[in-house]
Amino acid sequence: MGDVILTMKGIDKSFPGVHALDHVDLEVRKGEVLALMGENGAGKSTLMKVLTGIYKKDSGTITYEGKEVEFKNTREAQDAGIVIVHQELNMLGHLTVAQNLFIGREFKNGIKIDDKKMNEEAKKLFDKLNVDIDPTETMAKLTVGKQQMCEIAKAVSFDAKVIIFDEPSAALTEAEIEEMFKIIRDLKKKGIAMVYISHRMDEIKVITDRVTVMRDGTYVGTLITNDCTKEDIINMMVGRVIYEDPKTVSAVPKDAPVVLKVEHLNAGKMVQDVSFELRKGEILGFSGLMGAGRTETARALFGADPKESGDIYINGQKVTINSPEDAVKAGIGYLSEDRKRYGIVVQKTVAENTTMATMHKFMKGLFINKKKEEEVAQEYVEALATKTPGVDQLVVNLSGGNQQKVVIAKWLTRDCDILIFDEPTRGIDVGAKNEIYKLMNKLASEGKSIIMISSEMTEILRMSDRIVVMCEGKKTGEIGIEEATQENIMNLATREIN
Amino acid sequence: MEKFKQNAFVKKVGFNRIILVGVMLLMYLMFGALTGGSFFTMSRIMNIFNYVYFLGFLALGVTFVIATGGIDFSIGPVMFCCALVSGYSFFTHGVPMGLALVLCVVVGLLFGIWNGYLVAFIKIPPFIVSMASMNMAKGIAAVFTKTQSVSWPQSSDPAGWYRNLVKLGTIPTGFIIFIVAAIICAIILNKTKAGRYILCLGSNSEAVRLSGVDVKKWTMLAYVICGILVGIASIFYVGAYTTVQPGYGDQYNNEAIACCVMGGTSMAGGLASIAGTVIGTLIISLLQQGILALGFSKDYQFIITGLIVIAAVYADVSARRRKN
Repeated sequence: MGDVILTMKGIDKSFPGVHALDHVDLEVRKGEVLALMGENGAGKSTLMKVLTGIYKKDSGTITYEGKEVEFKNTREAQDAGIVIVHQELNMLGHLTVAQNLFIGREFKNGIKIDDKKMNEEAKKLFDKLNVDIDPTETMAKLTVGKQQMCEIAKAVSFDAKVIIFDEPSAALTEAEIEEMFKIIRDLKKKGIAMVYISHRMDEIKVITDRVTVMRDGTYVGTLITNDCTKEDIINMMVGRVIYEDPKTVSAVPKDAPVVLKVEHLNAGKMVQDVSFELRKGEILGFSGLMGAGRTETARALFGADPKESGDIYINGQKVTINSPEDAVKAGIGYLSEDRKRYGIVVQKTVAENTTMATMHKFMKGLFINKKKEEEVAQEYVEALATKTPGVDQLVVNLSGGNQQKVVIAKWLTRDCDILIFDEPTRGIDVGAKNEIYKLMNKLASEGKSIIMISSEMTEILRMSDRIVVMCEGKKTGEIGIEEATQENIMNLATREIN
Repeated sequence: MEKFKQNAFVKKVGFNRIILVGVMLLMYLMFGALTGGSFFTMSRIMNIFNYVYFLGFLALGVTFVIATGGIDFSIGPVMFCCALVSGYSFFTHGVPMGLALVLCVVVGLLFGIWNGYLVAFIKIPPFIVSMASMNMAKGIAAVFTKTQSVSWPQSSDPAGWYRNLVKLGTIPTGFIIFIVAAIICAIILNKTKAGRYILCLGSNSEAVRLSGVDVKKWTMLAYVICGILVGIASIFYVGAYTTVQPGYGDQYNNEAIACCVMGGTSMAGGLASIAGTVIGTLIISLLQQGILALGFSKDYQFIITGLIVIAAVYADVSARRRKN
């Protein structure tokens, strides 16, 4: 194995309310592929952003090629030879391949852009990498796989010595991944160091030399890929953290009626043949890693996005849901993971947001009965202990947790029997989290049925009666809370795809 | 100043509106002084009012559209189209006056439906839709009238009774009707389901859609209301000036939009004030008459209206930025 090219030592980074990185170490050697693994929110991306100057570290040192460095922005990192290949491709579809590769550093002939030279240089670059792409082709006409190759080629063209791959395979087919691996092996031979962030265990085994695992913003350890098993890595990822009072027994009676049945739901790549049942009074956890297709499943079920096929039964009756309007009429409420965009109307008051889905209940003839509206909103403010100076307060002035309560109030006013909570506590502080949990438990005990999508293992184990695990758009398993452990959930969430 | 802002009455009426009224009165006094008092005569005041009526209805209409976060650049030409189609039908096809007035509103309504459908259901950006409608309105009016201007009957004509809608003897009936219409608009916007949804979807249409609300229907309704009000505007235009010419009307788009944004309606959608629009209309009308009275050409007014739109939108944008 080659010499060490990059060392990060004791990297510390805090955001308001979150200790994102707690003295993390990382070491990358020339000509190796280092896997960087960890659950959602473990701090992988934050660490890479500190490295490339997107975030400023609070403390710690970065040593690159024997010298201590601190990049002010990605441009500086790029010039020094550290480049990120992002998961989302940063390509301009209507330009040609060559124009994309050299954007911002075009070859010039006087003041004219020298397209011919750019095409030649691009061709040389592709030849060096053994990829067959026509530099004059329009970017949008390439497959996602080929576009990914272009991203890699672009990284190489910066004379990169360290290339960071941030989940490069997420959008690729098996064949495309194979082709990408060929390039990575080539780059290895040339002595380039690579950091490979991925959730796909099979890829890690195939392409990487060492695995560094992070958990909750800390460095856990580094293993030699060939000497470890998938279980070793998962154990390191989930660790031995003691989780706050996890549920051990399902609170749902065995004979509780099925209120919602979803069969063979399909909606694009992210929702493939998903089927599940939800019982009365149950909290059904949806677990999985980022991009597993949980939110997409919920949105398709709720009619927010179009679906290709699939049947939905409510209380045994088949229903057609083509829009959120249909879903709400069928008694489903959806609390989005992105409250500000999809949940609340920030410039309106607490009362106006509360009655958003139930206007018809507050009409007196043609007019809105504002008195009744305010009374009902006030009832929910008290019932949910929402902290607001009054129901005429604009929602924009409330904290995240209290905004979430307003959204909950909206659906409770509607008297929905099925509630979908998508990341119910994201961006909410610890105290308010507990209140939301209590509230969900209370709703379930009152006979409401809840689907809870969560990326936090703690939350899943603490709240769910049953857990559906998804991975890459497919349902990979279903576990009762009695058998659920972090390990077996993580196992399903990272299942190898054949 | 802070104390003034916290005063209960000021809070209820709105600080900005009080400032606007102040600006309006100052302008009136200033023009009065500059024109040697002629601004205070009854005939000048009636001239100002004549302008207020049709512009006011246009501004009320476009307030609903802007509240949804949309825009309508077709209102001026559509107003002319209503007046031309209906007036031509009156003269050439012998349509009775009562029906001709209804026809004005119907043409406006049809344009409202057309614009609203394209924006809400087909999802074509409002800017594009209204630009296209603007040209279509001009074209339809020209084709229909064979590019001739139409002069509606004078007051002396037996069919001239419609002008009583604008002025009955010395009573400014037009002003009364306009204020009643404004009150109805304010009630629709603030007290009904339609108004609530229009304002909410202007602020965050995705959140409203995910609440199970038929966002398309309510978006379209805003354009339909606008169309009806534009149709009514055309009645007051001919009631005041009688003559309409095909191919014109664009200048009123900017003026009507200026009335709205000056009155506190946000171009970003979600915030709208009918009272503000009414005061804005009075200011723009004063400005228009003042500039003419001072002997400047109408072109100066275009410049000033343009600057007012920019200034009002800038004030709105920077207020938002401060809040975030």
